[in-house]
Amino acid sequence: MKPVGIAIKRFVFIGLLLSVAGCSLHAPKSDYDRRETVVFDLETRVLAPNMWNPYVPGARLEHGFHQCMIEPLFILNTETGIIEPWLGLSMTSNETLDVWTLALRPEVKWNDGVPFTADDVVFTINLLLKNAPSLLFSGPMKQWVARAEKVDALTVLFHLTKPNPRFKLDYWSVKIANSVTILPEHIWKDKDPLTFKNYEPGKGWPVFTGPYKLDRFSETSFSYRRDDGWWGAKAGWKPLPAPKMLEWVWQGTEEMRTAAMVDGSVDSLCDITLGAYQALEHFRGDVMAWTDGPPYVWLDPCPRALEFNCGHPPWDDKEMRWAMNYCINRDVIVAVAYEGTSMPSKHFFPAYPPLERFTRILEQNGAYDRFPVWEYNPDKAREILESKGYTRNRYGYFEKDGKELSVTVTTHEAAIELQRVAQVVVEQLQTAGINASHRSEAGGTWMDNGSLGNFDARVGWMACGSVSEPWSSMDTFNASWMMPDGKRAQYNIWRWKNEAYSALVSDMGRMPLGDPRIDDLYWRAMEIWLDELPGIPLTQARKLLPFAQDHWKNWPSKENPYSHPCTWWQSTCKMIHEIKPVAPDPGKAP
Amino acid sequence: MSVPSWINAKLVAGSTVILFVVMLGLLGPWIWDTTQARVASCPLNLPPYGFSPPNLTFQPAQLAHPLGTESSGRDMLAVLITGTPNSLLVGTIAAGIGIVIGTLLGLTAGFMGGWVGTLIRVMSDAIITIPSLVVLIVISSYVREISLTSMGLLLALFAWPGTTRTVYAQTLSLRERGYVQMARLSGASTLSIMVFELLPNLMPYLAACFTASVSGNILAATGLEALGLGPSRIPTLGMAISNAVRGAAILRGMWWWWGLPIAMLILIFSGLFLITIGLDEVANPRLRRSEGNAR
Amino acid sequence: MSTMRGSSLAYLIRRLAMFALTIWLGLTLMFLIPRMAPGDPIAAMVARISSQAGRVENSEQMIQAWRTRFGLDAPLYQQYGRYLWNSLHFDLGYSMAYFPMKVEDLVRAGMPWTLALLSIATVLSFLVGSTLGALMGWPASPRALRLVLPAALCFTSIPPFMLGILLIYVFAFGLRWFPFAGAYAHEFPPGRNLDFVFSAVHHGILPATAIVVTTMGFWALGMRAMMVTTSGEDYMILAQAKGLRPRRLFWMYGVRNAILPQVTSLALSIGGIAGGSVLVEYIFTYPGMGYLLYQGIVNNDYALIQGMTSILIIGVATAVLIVDLAYPLLDPRIRRGDL
Repeated sequence: MKPVGIAIKRFVFIGLLLSVAGCSLHAPKSDYDRRETVVFDLETRVLAPNMWNPYVPGARLEHGFHQCMIEPLFILNTETGIIEPWLGLSMTSNETLDVWTLALRPEVKWNDGVPFTADDVVFTINLLLKNAPSLLFSGPMKQWVARAEKVDALTVLFHLTKPNPRFKLDYWSVKIANSVTILPEHIWKDKDPLTFKNYEPGKGWPVFTGPYKLDRFSETSFSYRRDDGWWGAKAGWKPLPAPKMLEWVWQGTEEMRTAAMVDGSVDSLCDITLGAYQALEHFRGDVMAWTDGPPYVWLDPCPRALEFNCGHPPWDDKEMRWAMNYCINRDVIVAVAYEGTSMPSKHFFPAYPPLERFTRILEQNGAYDRFPVWEYNPDKAREILESKGYTRNRYGYFEKDGKELSVTVTTHEAAIELQRVAQVVVEQLQTAGINASHRSEAGGTWMDNGSLGNFDARVGWMACGSVSEPWSSMDTFNASWMMPDGKRAQYNIWRWKNEAYSALVSDMGRMPLGDPRIDDLYWRAMEIWLDELPGIPLTQARKLLPFAQDHWKNWPSKENPYSHPCTWWQSTCKMIHEIKPVAPDPGKAP
Repeated sequence: MSVPSWINAKLVAGSTVILFVVMLGLLGPWIWDTTQARVASCPLNLPPYGFSPPNLTFQPAQLAHPLGTESSGRDMLAVLITGTPNSLLVGTIAAGIGIVIGTLLGLTAGFMGGWVGTLIRVMSDAIITIPSLVVLIVISSYVREISLTSMGLLLALFAWPGTTRTVYAQTLSLRERGYVQMARLSGASTLSIMVFELLPNLMPYLAACFTASVSGNILAATGLEALGLGPSRIPTLGMAISNAVRGAAILRGMWWWWGLPIAMLILIFSGLFLITIGLDEVANPRLRRSEGNAR
Repeated sequence: MSTMRGSSLAYLIRRLAMFALTIWLGLTLMFLIPRMAPGDPIAAMVARISSQAGRVENSEQMIQAWRTRFGLDAPLYQQYGRYLWNSLHFDLGYSMAYFPMKVEDLVRAGMPWTLALLSIATVLSFLVGSTLGALMGWPASPRALRLVLPAALCFTSIPPFMLGILLIYVFAFGLRWFPFAGAYAHEFPPGRNLDFVFSAVHHGILPATAIVVTTMGFWALGMRAMMVTTSGEDYMILAQAKGLRPRRLFWMYGVRNAILPQVTSLALSIGGIAGGSVLVEYIFTYPGMGYLLYQGIVNNDYALIQGMTSILIIGVATAVLIVDLAYPLLDPRIRRGDL
């Protein structure tokens, strides 16, 4: 019996060890006040946490870096379409749209006290031009900027290689996620921008203009401390932001992130599902989202679509694509894949107020009577397929010349939302007699298969680009991007070639923003697009972003749209100035 | 000792459980509408019949879905009826191939030695040293749609070397035993020694390996599915669990979504485990004898 | 005597040659397999850049520039030669997806956490599991124990990440005994102080428990089977007849002989340390190597995959070598001379 005795003793010992360790080690008291800290959610782990060079390929920006340290020149509000000046005061072009004049805000200083001037802007542009195309943004800068010229300490002239009406909007206004970062010349001037890490705590690096300085970090958590000597407060432009500390913390899966908010250890979350949000509301009543009631969500600028490789038969036939469209019931996709928290989409633009005018143009011209994108009609699909010579085989699938009509829909392995959409789409196609299947691919593979044309169909974020004007998204279908299969295409990965459409879109691209001639070109191009339907629009891209209101208030919402709510964008620079503590003076609270 | 020795309570119980799972797979479509295991076929988020919803955002339970439904509209009963045998199938394919190949190679290497043995050992060692995740992900990107069989075969790629190694080590140890030496002296062929002398002695260990390997491979498949790289239209227990993990099932109070698949995993494991120890007691007279002595 | 020594030496040489061959084969597989994936690491990197930095108009040029920088435009045999040479020098180069981070730095950040968590968990799991298995397979164990123990094995059939979530719910969310996630409290950055050590241990208990509880069953099953075989051996009966004390019989005759194959398995399981813990690391947001490897794979980052796997390959091969060399010492029944 003795061996058993030993084993039992060992068990008791291990058990005791576990429980003692658990009970006696209370979480130590932290050296900062949770009430003075805003904790944001970080969606993935940062594998290179000591990399503070915003231009290298391994750079990460959304862990607080460009939300509270790097300030943009301008910030676009996607709700109002208004571009708010930040480090810049104004940016205007000449008549021919090829020379842009940037005026800088005079009082701006780097956080080491050195003034922020036109020299820094010119230095940054030259750095990017010299190192093109290896640095982030260096490709587009090389493409568009011939040279940057300093006029005086606060004025820079950009001489472009060719006219670009969207130069300010696309690169300097945080249109989607971020903008071109200006670097401090006095730090960067003798560094190799490809290997410089820009991190040296002893020297106070990284140096940027934002109201927060890097405090400490690990791969999973980043803290920033308020810089009470921030230029904006000194110059009287804006008071110091209320939070003393900002933190970005990686919390793992949706389940854990949501639990962390229930626990009160995080103030804001990146996208979660409706079910998790309902649980959140169940556990604590004081959370809020973009809208008060359903659907709760803010829309990301990249609507979801079932995309085809229009060069692969049978999907090179527009009628086949329309047949697919008739098989798809968007209401079911919204109800099941999104549990009701999104809306169907009938084009590739995000449903943002500044773009609503363009949706109306389509409706006024009767586009959806002629092209009923939203019609769910399996009978019509069957008619089309039968007219193409397809017949049902004994398994219930359509086939022609002994070949079954099948399609593999691929998705990105990390995009759970799109996988759920793809699963519903596949079931609907199966019901309609098309042998559809779904496969998730590793991220790098999926991206590469896309640009090489190595796919039949995929659920992706087709034609991402437009936020306040329609051209950026429309141009992604331009035949000028066309590449044969096996050659990398940057845009138009769908290999859809339509010269008339491309000519109209190219014309549009040369006109200044807001030019009245754009409307007509837009309609004629969209008429072609809808007729051909190179991709099937499915739903808007929803993001359900909860905010906790026990420590902080005045988060952005549909009623209070001073900014969009995505805390991983650079527009958060504005949000951190707007959020206010719930207790008026946490320092004196009992 | 009136009962025949092969009727062993554990063996019978374990076999019943496994047979039950296999029958589910064969008869499932006749006893329940298994197409309800597909996305969007049922109302979402129903609790099991007779249970009250965890909070007000849920619909009340329906008798039509006795075990409830999950957040993509799959009926849990249909998922379990199809998913349990499917998971067992994946695990069995991988473990079966792994054990058979592993045992053959291990015996060969251990008994024959020489360059054949060296080659086998280098191969199995090399496979053991490389992380399986890399290979699995690369290969899965070539398959149009991963099926249960291809998943099982993929996992089998990594199931054999461990067995080869341990069988090899056992063979080295066993072949110097008296009875093997005796058989050798009496002129028995290598093959017959391997089959009739070594294999029976390895049996208990191999049976345990098999049980562990089936369970291990079901879990490995679950891991791949949790990474989003499994079959997406064919229900398995792993798919149900990984969907539950992705859908915040615990926080939402949807215990039926994660708890029932886990209960089925435990069921499969228990069945296999009972068979293993039952087989031991039937097949190993020495064990029975010494057990008798202990009593 | 001299022939004995001679044959041992021959065995040693032969075994070392096998060791080298195994490493070479492993390295070669890990050179070829990632290159078989349909993606291109540079294209994946550029795609990531364009998703971060808006339109990259001249991406083909950019891809070419980076391919040259990483030596990917050299012929395959040159890349292979350079890779073998560098691997043997532990010169792991730059990561492609995280340039200009060196693979070495990335690995160095994650390695200690993974090694600490997984080696402790693996050894604990081995000890607990083998003890359970030995007791289950030992005919003289009390009946009650032999009925209760199998119940403990049920955990083996639960996926570790699922058990991890359940543990977090019960012990972190509900009882608040342990922290939610991470490897240490943010207030105590890594350093040589007790606060940090306690905090790291405190954070490690739940993930380690998840791993131990879900894997110990595999050790138990193997050990039980070996005990069953061993306890039927003639020398056991002989020892029993000699009237040895049961405790001595259990440890010195039963466990000592049954544990041998288990030791081999333990050495082999080192290989699973990095790859096998991806999901557990993910659930507990533990900053280990599993996630690093996974990111390397999904980004087709050859340098990162190769760098990490070459460390694993050499590590596992060495562990297996040591076990093999130690085997004759542990199991005197084996003769090495004729191998």
